[in-house]
Amino acid sequence: MLRAPLHVKDVVGTVVRLALATIFVVSGALKLADPGQTFLAVQAYDLLPGSAVGLVATALPLLEIALGLALLAGIGTRTAAACAAVLMLAFIGGVAQAWARGLTIDCGCFGGGGPLAAKDTEYPRELAADVGFLVLAVWLLIRPRTRWSADSWLSRARPAAETGAAVDEDLLRR
Amino acid sequence: MGGAERTARKRRQQQLLAAQAKQQPSGRKPADPDQVKRIVVRVAIAVVVLAVVVGGVFWMNASKNATEGQVIQPQTAHQDIISTREGVTVLTGPPTAEVTLDVYADFLCPACKQFEDLYADRIAEHVKAGDLRVRTHMVPMLTERSDPPGYSLDSANAGLCAADEGAFVPFHDSLFAAQPGEGNRGFDKQQLIELGRALDITGETFPVCVTNGTYNDQLIAEFDKIKQDTRLHRDFGGGAGFGTPTVTSGGKVVDTADDAWLDKLLAAAQR
Repeated sequence: MLRAPLHVKDVVGTVVRLALATIFVVSGALKLADPGQTFLAVQAYDLLPGSAVGLVATALPLLEIALGLALLAGIGTRTAAACAAVLMLAFIGGVAQAWARGLTIDCGCFGGGGPLAAKDTEYPRELAADVGFLVLAVWLLIRPRTRWSADSWLSRARPAAETGAAVDEDLLRR
Repeated sequence: MGGAERTARKRRQQQLLAAQAKQQPSGRKPADPDQVKRIVVRVAIAVVVLAVVVGGVFWMNASKNATEGQVIQPQTAHQDIISTREGVTVLTGPPTAEVTLDVYADFLCPACKQFEDLYADRIAEHVKAGDLRVRTHMVPMLTERSDPPGYSLDSANAGLCAADEGAFVPFHDSLFAAQPGEGNRGFDKQQLIELGRALDITGETFPVCVTNGTYNDQLIAEFDKIKQDTRLHRDFGGGAGFGTPTVTSGGKVVDTADDAWLDKLLAAAQR
């Protein structure tokens, strides 16, 4: 009785992990492909001083791709999920403040971004998407065990006592 | 950690490395295959992350700074059109022309480049024929939208400096033809000065004008007035406001979405 739900959860977790990985790799790659547009997208949130805009616009796509690749490989799933959740909270905060302040911008979540005409804003849809992605990240944060992951491959090996490697022991217990 | 322990760990690592490199004689395995796995995975992650970050930063910088070291190609098709600077606007075409256009544009604005690509030749033909006069307003609207900021204002100022040298039309056409992308590096003042040189502007007045930003304050003051001027406002879907490009004639905004707008204006003036 206990095995079946666990098995199902593993499968769900795997789907969640791969979905979140795809979202991050795609969104990061689209931002990376047009750095000028990404700069405008970050600038449009009107949150950062001029010098920080360029830094964030450069770092963000790379962070997203790195998280996406980590999730794709299933390596450090819990840490990656934690980063993803924090990032999603930041995105939700950014979009919400833009909406609340009456800015009319595109979130630039999947490339694009920048100022928009008021009638073209899509804050509810953008926030709903981010909340959905947050839910995926939280699943993996709570239950990082998935199939076909580097984490499970590593944890199959008995942790050697003398190395003191604690990385994967908690994964085994779960 | 004790000295002996450290030595032991070091020895183990050496064995592992040797095993990885497959230099170990066959039959002898490292003490802990799990640790080999972990090390291989960690090294692989570090390498991939480093490659993504370094490659990404390199590619993004290269893409954003594409205008660096670039030469703005001179566009001289309409260089014989005479221009006169008036305040922070530039006039082309005879005062006797039946139709006068006021064109408000920013050298960094993509829609303005589209407008130029579509209509600059037609406008120039009528200016040369003498039935059209154009007052060009260079609007520093997107000054913050390049990285580093300033191209919009620098180019508007340089346009006026070029007008003082009688080279406005080719200077203007060259800047639109070579328009940098928003959010990227624009052209710096030195590149603007070199464009002037390529268009046969000699002497020290022009470089000094560009470097000092001679018309900057006037351009900014004029832009503030333009933004307030409700006759120039249009509704872009979020309440009325000013946007570029804006074309007016006889005090009214012209709908340039209609491809035949210029012919219609000229025909109406003939009647």
